[in-house]
Parts: sequence; C-alpha cells; structure tokens
Amino acid sequence: MRSTARRTAAVLGVVALLATACAVEDDGDGEAAEDGGTEEPGGDSDEIAFDVGVTEEPCPDAVNPDNGCIYLGVLSDLSEGPFAPVAVPITAGQEAFWARVNEAGGIGGFDVDIATYTRDTLYDPQQHSARYREIEPNILALAQTLGTPTTAAILADMDADNVIGAPASWWSGWAFDDSDQGLILESGYSYCIEAQVGLDWFAANVSEPATVLAVGYPGDYGGDSAAGVEQWAEANGAQFAGFIETAPNTIVGSQDAAVGAVMESGADAVVLAVGPAETGEIIGKTVVSGFGGQFLGSVPTWNPALLESAAAGAILSTYTNIAPWEGIDGTSAAHDAIRESLDGGVPENDGYIFGWVWSYPIKAALEAAAENGDLTREGLRSVVDGLEVDYEDALPPATFGADTNENAIRQAVINRPDEEGTLGLSTVEAEVTGETAEAYEYTSACS
Amino acid sequence: MIGTAVLQLRGRVRGRPVLYTSYAADQAILDTPAKRWWTAALVIVVLALPFLLSRDLTSLMMTVFIYAIGGIGLNLVTGYAGQVSLGHAFFMGLGAYTAAVLGGVETDQVLGFGLDMAIWLPMAGIVPALVGLAVAPLAARVRGLYLAILTLGLVFIGEHIFKEARQITGGAGVGRAPAEPVLFGMDLRATYHAFGYILPRDAMLYFVFFAIFMVLAVAARNLARSKLGRAFAAVRDRDIAAAVMGVPLQRTKTLAFTISSFYAGIAGALLVVVIGQMTPGNWNLFLSIEFLAVILIGGIATISGSIMGAAFVVLMPRLVAELAGSVPFISTAPGSGFLTVFHVQTMLFGALIVLFLVLEPRGLYGLWVRVRNYWKAWPFSY
Amino acid sequence: MEVLISSGLVRGFGIGSTYALLAVGFVIIYRATGVVNFAQPALMILGAYFTSMFISAAGMPFAVAVVAAMFVMAAIGMATERVALRPMVGRPPFAAAMVTVGVFITLYVVAHRLIGSRVRAIRDPWGLEQVDLLGVTVAQIDLAKIVISLAAIAVVGLFLARSRLGLAMRATSLDQEVALAQGVNVGRMFGLAWAISGALAALAGALLGTVAGGFEASLALVALKALPVIIIGGLDSIKGAVIAGLFVGVAEALTRTYQPRYADWLGANFDVAVPYVIMIVVLMVRPYGLFGTREVERV
Repeated sequence: MRSTARRTAAVLGVVALLATACAVEDDGDGEAAEDGGTEEPGGDSDEIAFDVGVTEEPCPDAVNPDNGCIYLGVLSDLSEGPFAPVAVPITAGQEAFWARVNEAGGIGGFDVDIATYTRDTLYDPQQHSARYREIEPNILALAQTLGTPTTAAILADMDADNVIGAPASWWSGWAFDDSDQGLILESGYSYCIEAQVGLDWFAANVSEPATVLAVGYPGDYGGDSAAGVEQWAEANGAQFAGFIETAPNTIVGSQDAAVGAVMESGADAVVLAVGPAETGEIIGKTVVSGFGGQFLGSVPTWNPALLESAAAGAILSTYTNIAPWEGIDGTSAAHDAIRESLDGGVPENDGYIFGWVWSYPIKAALEAAAENGDLTREGLRSVVDGLEVDYEDALPPATFGADTNENAIRQAVINRPDEEGTLGLSTVEAEVTGETAEAYEYTSACS
Repeated sequence: MIGTAVLQLRGRVRGRPVLYTSYAADQAILDTPAKRWWTAALVIVVLALPFLLSRDLTSLMMTVFIYAIGGIGLNLVTGYAGQVSLGHAFFMGLGAYTAAVLGGVETDQVLGFGLDMAIWLPMAGIVPALVGLAVAPLAARVRGLYLAILTLGLVFIGEHIFKEARQITGGAGVGRAPAEPVLFGMDLRATYHAFGYILPRDAMLYFVFFAIFMVLAVAARNLARSKLGRAFAAVRDRDIAAAVMGVPLQRTKTLAFTISSFYAGIAGALLVVVIGQMTPGNWNLFLSIEFLAVILIGGIATISGSIMGAAFVVLMPRLVAELAGSVPFISTAPGSGFLTVFHVQTMLFGALIVLFLVLEPRGLYGLWVRVRNYWKAWPFSY
Repeated sequence: MEVLISSGLVRGFGIGSTYALLAVGFVIIYRATGVVNFAQPALMILGAYFTSMFISAAGMPFAVAVVAAMFVMAAIGMATERVALRPMVGRPPFAAAMVTVGVFITLYVVAHRLIGSRVRAIRDPWGLEQVDLLGVTVAQIDLAKIVISLAAIAVVGLFLARSRLGLAMRATSLDQEVALAQGVNVGRMFGLAWAISGALAALAGALLGTVAGGFEASLALVALKALPVIIIGGLDSIKGAVIAGLFVGVAEALTRTYQPRYADWLGANFDVAVPYVIMIVVLMVRPYGLFGTREVERV
C-alpha cells in the first residue's frame, strides 16, 4: 500500500474521529419519536390527542366502521415454546375480551385491535426483543407480554418508548416500581402470596402442616412461590423443608429426583410450582410409593388432561389447586361474559380466562386516557399511577401505583379436581384470604 | 524503461488488471479494481443504513454482524481446520457472561463491575479462548463425529454450570442483564447529534459493531491466507500427511480452537447487548446448530461465505414473516391457518440446510462464484 | 438398600434400556451408511405421537398400537432416507450428518404441529403399579421397559446374525463396493437400516411416552442423551450401544437418587450432565469409545 491509499485511510480516520468528537450526547430535550418507522401522524379526533399506534382509519375487519383504531401488541409463545399450551388460549381469551369491548362501542371513539400485531416469541428473550422492536413503531401499548425474563429483556426499551403492558405472569416483582418502572399492569396475586394464602387455607381447613416443602422451577415461578412458602413457615412456626429445584421433563427426562426429595422430606404439605406433566408425575409416583402428605398446586400446574393420566387417582385424593380467580364456572359478571363469548363451548384450559381477566387494566388505562383526551404514549403512561381498575367482580377493584403493601391483592380461589367439573376442577371456596398473607409485609419482590 | 517502471504500480500493470508482478499484489484480498470499488460501495451503503431503515431493521443488521463474527469463528475451526465443533454456543455463553460480570451493573442477585467496553470486550474474547485452550488437548485426540459429539457435551455441561453459577448468571428462568456498552466513557445507546444533525437511536452502537466486525473479518481473512491458515487446511485435508510434512498437529488444532473460541466469545458478548436479557437456557444446542447453518449455507472455509450465511440466516425469518401476509395458508395468529409463520420459518431453515448441502456444497459463496464466473466470461460463458 | 435397587438400579435399567433402543438405532444407520442420524429424536417423538393417537383415537390396545406406530415410523424412516440421504452418497459424512440435522428441524416442527399444545398421554397396561421382586418393591413399568427393549434388540441382533437380509446388511457395513459386487442392493440396505432404526425409535418413544404425567413435543430432546451413549459404546458397535445405554441409565438414576444428598455442591439436576461427563472421561481413555473400531488413517 503506497501513498494514495495511506492518504485515503488517514483522511477517513480523521473524519471518523472528528465525527465522534462532535457527536454530542443528546439529553433528549423535546424531540418527537423519530425512529424512522411508520409514524401515525398525530391528530385530534373529537379532541382526543393521539400519535403512535392510533389511527383514524377503522381497524381491519372493524366492528364499528366509523371508529378509529387503537393497535395493541401481543408478544406471546404460540407454537413451540414451553408455555404454548396455555398461551394460545390466553391470547384467544384476550381477543374475545377486546371483541366484546368493540361490540360495546369501543373506547373513546376507537376500536381496539390486537390481532394485527400479535407475534410469536417462543419464550425466548432474543425473539421477544426482536419482535418488540418490530411492532413498537405501530402500537400504543402491549396487551400481553408473556414471561418474566422475556419482559425483563424489553423493559428498558419499553421505558424509553413509554409503552405500558400487561404481563402474562404472576411474578411478585411486577408490583414494585423499581422492578417494572411503572409500566407493567399485572392482575391478581403473585406466586409469593399465592403460596401463603394456599397454606393458610390448608391449615384452616385440612390440617396444620408441621413441615412444608416447595418444589418448583427456579426463578420467577418456583422461586417466587418457594419464597412465599418459606415466609409462611417462618410466620407459623412450621418447618421449611427446603426448595427442591427441578426443571421441565424436556430437560431432566423425568421428575425422579424431585420425587425422591419429596419422599425424604417427610412434609405434610408440598407446594408445587411446575408444569402439568411434571405435576402428574410427581404426585403419581410419590403417592404410589406411600407418601402421606398433601399437594397444593400453583395456577399453571393444572391441565384437564391430568385426569386421564395414570396419576388421576392420586391427584383426586391429594391435590388442591390455588387460582387467582374463579374458573369457567365462576359467578361474577366477568365470568358470565366469558361464557357468553364462548357460546356455550369450553376452552382448552383456563388460559382463556387468564387472558380475559388480564386485559381489564389495559382497558381501564385506555378509558382513563381517553377521558383525559390524551391517547398518546405519554398520556397513557401518566394515568397508570393511581389507576383504578374494575374487574367486573372477577377480582376486587385494584389500584396501581400507590403503596403496594396496601393495595396488593391477597385473595385466591381454592379448587379441587373433579371429574364432573368443567375443565376438571370445581371451586371449593372463593375469595379466600389468609392471616399470614394479610400480615405479610409486601415491600419488595419475593425473588 | 522509465515508462514500464511507471506502469508497474505496486505490482500491478496499468491496463492489465490480472497481471501481478509482486507477491503482495498477488496475495492481496482486494486484488482487482472491481473488487476495491464494490467493497467501498458496500461499506458506504452499510454505513448509511441506520439513517434509512427503521430501528428494528437496524438491530437486525447488528445481529447480522454478530452472527457473521460467530460464523467466522466457527468457520475457522470447522471449515478451515476441519475440526467439527458443536460447542460454539458454550463459548459464546462464556464470552457473554465474562462481559456481563466485567461490564454489567451489580444487583442483589448478580455480580457486575461496570467496567468500560474497552476492557470487557477483549476479555470477553480472551476468557473463552483460554477455556478453548484448555479443552483443545482432549479435542485434538478425538476425530470426526466423536469430536462433534464431544463438543456437544460441552454445551450441555456448560448449560448446567451456567444454571448453577447464580451469582454470575442470575440462574435459570430469570437470567441477568448484559454488559453496558460504554466505550471510552461514551454511552453508545444514548442519542447523539453530530454536526447539528440528530443521529438515529442505535446509530453509534451500530457503527461500533460494524467497526469491530470489519476488524475481525479482515483479521480472519489475513489469518486464512497466512502460514497458519495453510496449516489449518493441511490438517483438514490429511492430517497425517500434514504431520509428515512438518505441520505441528497438536499446536495447529489447539490454535484453531483457541482462535475460534475468541471469536465466539466476542460474538456472544455483543449478541446479548442487542437482545437485552440473557438466561442460561439461551446457550443451547439450537444456537450451535444455527451457526453451523450459517457456515454451511454460506460456504465452508470462506470468510465472505460466513458473512453471506449470517445475512441469510438472520434475514430469512424476517422475510418469511413479511411474506406471511400475502400467502394465504400461513398465519400469524395462533391456532388458525394450516401453519404458523414460525413453523414455516423453521421448516424452511431445515429444508434450506438440506438443499444447500445436496445441491451446492460450497454454499452461497459457491453460488456467487458461479454467477461471477458466468459474467466474467460472458458472452463466452459456456 | 431398597431405594438403591428400586429407584437406582431397576429404574436405571429401565431408562437405560430405552436409551439402548435409540442407540442401537443410531448404530445400525451408522454401520450401514456411515452417517450419524441426528433426526432420531424426531422419529422418536413422532412414534410416541402415533402410539398415543392409535390408543386414544383408534381405540387399539397398547401392544397393537405400538406395533402399528413402529410400522408407520419404519415407513417414514425409509422415505426420509430415499429423499434426503440418497443424494448424499459419496459425500463426506459430516455433510450427510448435517442433512440429518436439517431433517430433524423439519420433522420436529411437524411433530409440534401434530401434537399441538396439549399434553398427550399413553395409556399403558402397567401405569403406576408396583410389583414385589425378591422382596423389593419396583415399578412394573420399569420391568416392562427392560423386557421389551432387550427383546426388541435381541430380535434385531438375531435378524442381523442369522437371516440372509441381515447378512447382506452386515456385508454393506463392511464394504459397500464389495457388497455391491456380490449382488447386494445397497440402496435397499440403506432403506432397511433406516426402517429398522425408525421402528426402534418409535418403540423407544412409546415407552418414554408412558411417563406418568403425559408428554409434550419437546420430549424429543431426551433422545439427545443417546448421543453420548453411542460415543461411549463406540459408533459402530451394537453390543457397545446396549452396554453403554444400560450403564448411562443406571448412572443417571443413581445420580438422581444420591447426588442431592451427598454431593449437593454439584448443583441441582446434575444427572442431566452426567452422561456427558462420563463420555468425556471415556474419550480421554479410549478416543473411539469402549467397543468402537479404531479408524484406519491412511496418508
């Protein structure tokens, strides 16, 4: 390489250095979102200001052709990931919910569409992050973001974009601003509270356990639940036999290690935070080997197919299910609407109801923002603090943003497996609360 | 005499593009004017992309660079040196966690020292390289498919270690945030304006990634055409004959693993900066297979092939997703339609691997060479 | 002691025998064609799916459903070989192995689509019942797995050793060109190898799918554990595959039972990594596996 090439390289290098030196960090004083993506031109429609994710044109296949359209995104696990069996009905439940909202006239003169920006992320943070960036220029908020690590992966971006979202997870961290930046609108209890309420009910209605054990997947699911079990044991003077970490069968092949640990623990009550197949295996194998304790299962441990497996007998006699709200046979106005939307049919599993109930906070936020006349991202984010949500009796009304210790939901529904019940469960008691759960100082995430 | 001296510039004769009179000119990477101009044009286009594309496409391009770096690393060990390695995901994970510990933010759950990118990036390459150095002696004893499955074992053992090392990785299911991309004190994720013009949000990050990618790609190309590169090729083709000729087998194989792990580590560290959160489950067999697909589809034993393969593997799913709107039986919504977008993407991926291997063993690079030769010899290309 | 035998040894042999089934399938294909078939897990999960479907939808009894699934998977195996692997004859084995990876990805997606998002169960006649064996209570399903798997492998071994087709297959694995010269239809032998392998994978899938809570599509990944098994046993040795399979199964079961108590520092679920650790140890001592033949390296 002789002089010409070297000169060129030198000039380019100097230009690059100059550009870097002159590149001043921008403090973001007042610039509009200029991602270069599709921007909805801001506008007013009957004095409601809107910009990104909202259009004056009607939604595709709109129910009300005169309304504009609010686009919400859904990032879920719809095909091959570990939670697809429950996530597909969750998304179906959400679609039914918003269809009902649209039939009632929409919100503030707009219909709500979640189907256009539904993306499958396979419970993989990389996919979740990539799909979020793909749909972000076109949506106002996220109607669903499934999973804790996946949502955590996009939280920084959501914060920068002022996008709020409803999570499809019950991690305790979502209740606290330092974990969720005030962006996440969760519903119902957390796994941590669930374990405590469940054990409270168990102690009051079945027997007082002297030893309690937690079995689950490490992390936001089993870890959260185990933290609750440990809390309960401490508060009630019971012995906490430990947290047995296990993993889905696809990773460990079978639950024999957990089964062995349960047998050895001598626990009277075991709280399970695993998947349905693993639940069936653990209960089946331990009961057949002579285990004398009872099992409390977290929400995701149930699948109606369990009553057709070999462990059905054991499950019927030892398993109790804890749920955040009633199942398909529930008595609230929300449940009536759910059954109406199904036209007398039965969903594949309870995921349908989860999706429905999880959508209420977003609806409340949209309505509040529409009332303020500000359906922009900032406007929507600003109504979260202090937002009151009406769940149509599926849950007691909730308030966001204020003191979590005061406002956290601490009630559950107790179900038992029942061959006659729809989806295999029948409710034993609803609106259950417990002493330990009520007294728990909920000041930070449990795990 | 003076005339001919003037005409012989740097080993090339003006007017005679393929006549080389010096060894350096013959060995040059960009040896014809056409190559030089087209490469320059490509570089300018790539540099201009953040200003033209939306943000998600820009981060897709960054992922292409990262996959290219990883693909080049895998090509060095599998394509050039012939040592089949399915363990690439493990070394990427090592690099990512080294970077996260050195450059990340400390929380209650995980360690993090918050150091500058100028420190964590090289270390993200060096630590996996050292581990590769440790693994290499065993790998050198084993050949062929035995080696492939041995490296597969590394991935599984690595996953287990990552899940248990909670202080470093955050544990299964929750994971941790990656290193912060702060280069020489400059936060690459902030918005900048240069010369009064506001740059798009991830532009600085994009440029830095591109610079790293160019440096590593040129380094790999130079390695391939050096003495070590020839030693790799000799070991791949007939290792006993190579040993007879004086190529030190053990040392060459060890170097291949070490250098490949260096590239893998850097790719892993940069990948999680783009993704945003990493769990131990990320570094699994499927990631290794994706990189194998990158080099197989792109072209074994070529650097440009790895780059083309990376572009293909990263951009193809996006293309299928965009097309899904137009093709009737593919749907984005769950449960409806015969196949979902993701099914089609995955099946296409698998089918393309099979097709490339069967029809064009030299991959995209081989296709490119065919096209180029056709046009070079046109209209006499028969 | 009781735990050692029932949870450790018997259960270990049970799981190990299913690994042995899968490993023998791998080895048969390797010996006949020189390729490691990475698509075996997909064949396994499809076999489990067909068994479950034949039992629940078509109402067949367990044994009939399993045999029917075996025939279906044998056919799919032969078809795969004809379509994807035949064009790769003569190419380096690494390329052919990658083709099987591509086939695996495709078939895995098909399996996901078929099994859907539901948990499926296989109603087997043994369920969770236990039986008393020499004073120790063991699960019936474990004994059934051992007996069925070893019987199937014995049938295959007899076929290879005694029948004419088996002789032709052995000739093909020794030297394809010479076998061709002797009048053996080598292409058909390849197809037969894949068919046997597919059938064995289906049987393994049916047995693994009887796990108490039901199975999902991702159970296929359990079959990947057969890869260290074939390495430990040697890529081209059926005897090695069986012995290594049983050994790995027992090692896993013992680790599962005793490691949480005695070696907790190794972490939770260390039994997932145990086959690979054993594989590394074996490879350090014998780079071609315990019973594998050393490759002749020519200059």
